[in-house]
Formats: sequence, C-alpha cells, structure tokens
Amino acid sequence: MSGYVEWKAVHKSFNGRAVLRGMNLAVQKGEVLFIIGTSGVGKSVTIKLLLGLLRADAGEIWFDGQRVDQLPERALAGLRRRIGMVFQSSTLFDSMTLAENVALPLRRHQGLSHTKAVAEARERLGAVFMAEHADRFPAELSDGMRKRAAIARTLALGPDVVLFDEPTTGLDPVSARRIDQLIRSLATTGITPIVVSHDPPSIFGVADRVAFIYQGVVHTLATPAELEASADPVVQQFIQGRSAGPMETPGF
Amino acid sequence: MITRFGQSLVDLSRGTRDLWQVYVSTLAGIIRRGRRPRGELARQMFAIGNRSLVFIIVTLGFIGMVMTYEACLQLSTVTGDFSQLGMQFIRLVVSDFGPTLTALMLATRVGAGIAAEIGSMKVTEQVDALRMSGVLPIDYLIVPRFLASIIMTLVLSVIGGTVMYLAGGLTAKYSFGVNPNLFFDLELLRLRHVGLFVVKALAYGAAIPIVAGFCGLRARGSSEGVGWATTAAVIGGSFAVIILDFVLSAAALFVFGGDL
Repeated sequence: MSGYVEWKAVHKSFNGRAVLRGMNLAVQKGEVLFIIGTSGVGKSVTIKLLLGLLRADAGEIWFDGQRVDQLPERALAGLRRRIGMVFQSSTLFDSMTLAENVALPLRRHQGLSHTKAVAEARERLGAVFMAEHADRFPAELSDGMRKRAAIARTLALGPDVVLFDEPTTGLDPVSARRIDQLIRSLATTGITPIVVSHDPPSIFGVADRVAFIYQGVVHTLATPAELEASADPVVQQFIQGRSAGPMETPGF
Repeated sequence: MITRFGQSLVDLSRGTRDLWQVYVSTLAGIIRRGRRPRGELARQMFAIGNRSLVFIIVTLGFIGMVMTYEACLQLSTVTGDFSQLGMQFIRLVVSDFGPTLTALMLATRVGAGIAAEIGSMKVTEQVDALRMSGVLPIDYLIVPRFLASIIMTLVLSVIGGTVMYLAGGLTAKYSFGVNPNLFFDLELLRLRHVGLFVVKALAYGAAIPIVAGFCGLRARGSSEGVGWATTAAVIGGSFAVIILDFVLSAAALFVFGGDL
C-alpha cells in the first residue's frame, strides 16, 4: 500500500558515514506516526529529507502522489506550505516578537500585508493559548511557551502534514503532556503529524503507529501495543531503556 | 597520502564553488529585492560602522604614527630630507593603506561577528526555519550585511585614512620637527589614487560579509562549529582583503603604469 508520505529505499551519508541505508517508510493520511530510535540514527534526517532541508544520496521520497526529493529549492516553497515543521529548539527569531514570528510565513507564503499578517498571527497564537504573550520576545518566555509559539507559527499556514522534531524534549511533564494533547488534536482535524521522539509517555500515549529506526532502516513498524509486546530483544532494550543488550549504539 | 591530497583538492574546489554561489545569490537577492527585516540595513550599518568607529580610529591612528616614525627614523639616518615624506605618505594612504588596513581591521571585528551570528542561527536550525517560512536565508541574512558593509567600509576607510594621515603628521612634527605645511602637501595626490581608494574599499566591503556569511552558513554541530566558522571567517576575510589588494594594485599598475 502506498502512503500519503513515503520514503523508498532512501540512503543518506555524512562525511562517508552512512546514516540511512535504504530506508522504507509509508505514512497514511491522518495517522499519528512516531519515529523513534537512538541518538544519531537518522530520525531528524528522515524528516528533513522530506522537506528538502537535506538531500538524499539515493532513493525516492513521495508526498501526496508527487515525488519531492528532486524538487529545486524554488519549487520546495509550495511543498513547505503544505508540510510544516516544529524544530527541536523553538527556532523563533530573537529579534521579532511572537506575533511577528508567526506573521513571517503568512507574509511570505500568503502575501499578506504586515498589519493583516500580525492580526492573523495573534489569532493563531490564541489557538495555542499564547495570545496574551503576542508582543513579547522569545527570550522573555519559558521553553514550553516558546515551543507552543513555534507550533503556532507552523500551523499558521494550515499545513496538511506537521513534522515534530523531539517536541517534548527539555519540557516539564505537564508542558510535555499539553504538547502531546495538541499533537493528538491535530490528527482529529485532518492533519497528519509525524513525530520524532524519545519520550515514552508521548510515544505510548499519542502514536497510532511507531517506526523504530535501527541501523539505517525501519527495523519495526507497529502500533504502540504491538511494540510493547514485541519479542525482538533490540526493541525491548530500547523501549525499556536498558544499557545492556544486543543493541549496537555507535559512539558508546 | 595521494587520496588525502586529492580529497583536499576536491573540498577546496567545492568550497570555492559554494563561496561563488553565495556571492552570486547575494547579487541576485539585491536585484530581486528579496525579503529582509524592516530597518535591517540601518541596523547593520550601525553595527558595522558606528560600532567599529573607535576601533578603526585607534588602530589606524597608531599605525599611522608608527609608520611615519619609522620612515622619519630611516630618512634621518640616510638623507635627513623630509620634504617628500608627507606627499608620499598621503599617496600611500589613499591608494593602499587607508582602505586595506581598515578592511583588515573590519575582517576581524565585523567578519567574526557576522560568522558567529549566522553560524549560531545555523546550528540552532533558525536558518532552516527561515527556509520553512519561505524566506531565502541569503536574502534575509547576507544581503543587508553585504550592503551595509560596502557602504560603511568606504566611510570607515575615509575616516581611518584621514586619522592615519593626521596622526602621521603630528608624529613627524613632534618627533622629528617636520613642518606641518611640508607634511600636509597633497601635490602628488591624483584622481586615480582616489579612484583606487574607492574601488578597493568597495571590493573589501563586499568580500568581508560574503566570506563571513559563507563560513556562518557552513557551521555544523554546536558551539564548536560556530567557533570554527568564526575563526575561518577572520582568516578567510583577511586573506580575501590581501589577495584583493594585490589583484587591484596590480591591475592599477597595469592600467596606469609608472604614473600610479
């Protein structure tokens, strides 16, 4: 079955070190897919390849029936309107207020005037309960608040797919669960969230399916329940967070 | 060994190609008037120009004093004739030392700042976030710095050259008793020297942010990557200024011959 988003036999190396080695993965429309794996295994690389922020060495990447891995930079603007990304760090621009941060893609992608874009941005910030902070600068806010503002910026363009790169890393448990709720609620509105995560409560509380990347390929693709019940010792070592076991972790 | 040498050559050619692409993309960004923050050009002019002013005045003032003092010392032991000193000094300051030394100072202060700023944005994925927002990072980050650097390098070169000349004149008077009327004589200065001054200042002003921006955009990893980018920007920027100085001086010599 072909997917709404699909990676086909994708390879990617950095300085001669192979990170992805023929990875295949298909994501269906409207599902919440979590990508998990050890640090440096290529989870963030996988989602950045979809957006053209990195280029694959070989293989194909498809989105909604269109091959996207060979699109030139200019053509990627259209793709980036439909696929948003929330980065690991909030990536808000320090010199702009939250409203201006959220307004930037609205001005650029939708051609709105500064005034209209900022007004629209305030509404978007309201949707993540950040309206009262619209005129503050990122440096004045907590990590969780910055993360929510970054999500508002990503959602401002009404994307079909939202990629989250470790959205709950560094957040307190309460803020993390609120982000989880937000991700889950996106799926109910027809958006397809693809989440890179290390956070077990997020993985087992939010995901419809989980792709476990190991040694450059999708080692296991399963529902959270199936993953928990898996007899695979590598999977068990990872989800139980044991240091001893069969898993090879380069650098350790 | 041969493999490593070959790999170094490949890396060098790729780096040169990428640097050229940054330069061409910056010019294209200026032509198409790409998206950049409001007031950013003024902000960058302030950061590059105003914030470098004291540094340029102090360093070029001292260099002017040292150069004149050494020249006077040599002349006093050989001929004792200071009549050509000021005329030759202003010719050198205008056609070479003014813009070149100003640019070398800017390559350290401004180049490091630009590389650190853009490098930090790169490693914290803010550059990727710009691309996701539909903004070309070159338009947003490099174009305003490029324009500001061109304008302010020219302005600072005028100020730096003037300070250098005045400091040299005062040193000659108070150290060796050279008559200021004799020193501050512009008889040998020609329009072609001023032309060379302007061309060099503009070329240096263009090169410094391009090299620094290129280094910043190549930063990888974390703070170590930013540190590498900053160091590379200072070395690359200084190197670019010296190479450009040589090329432009040689070109001027070719055009004007012995009249330069």
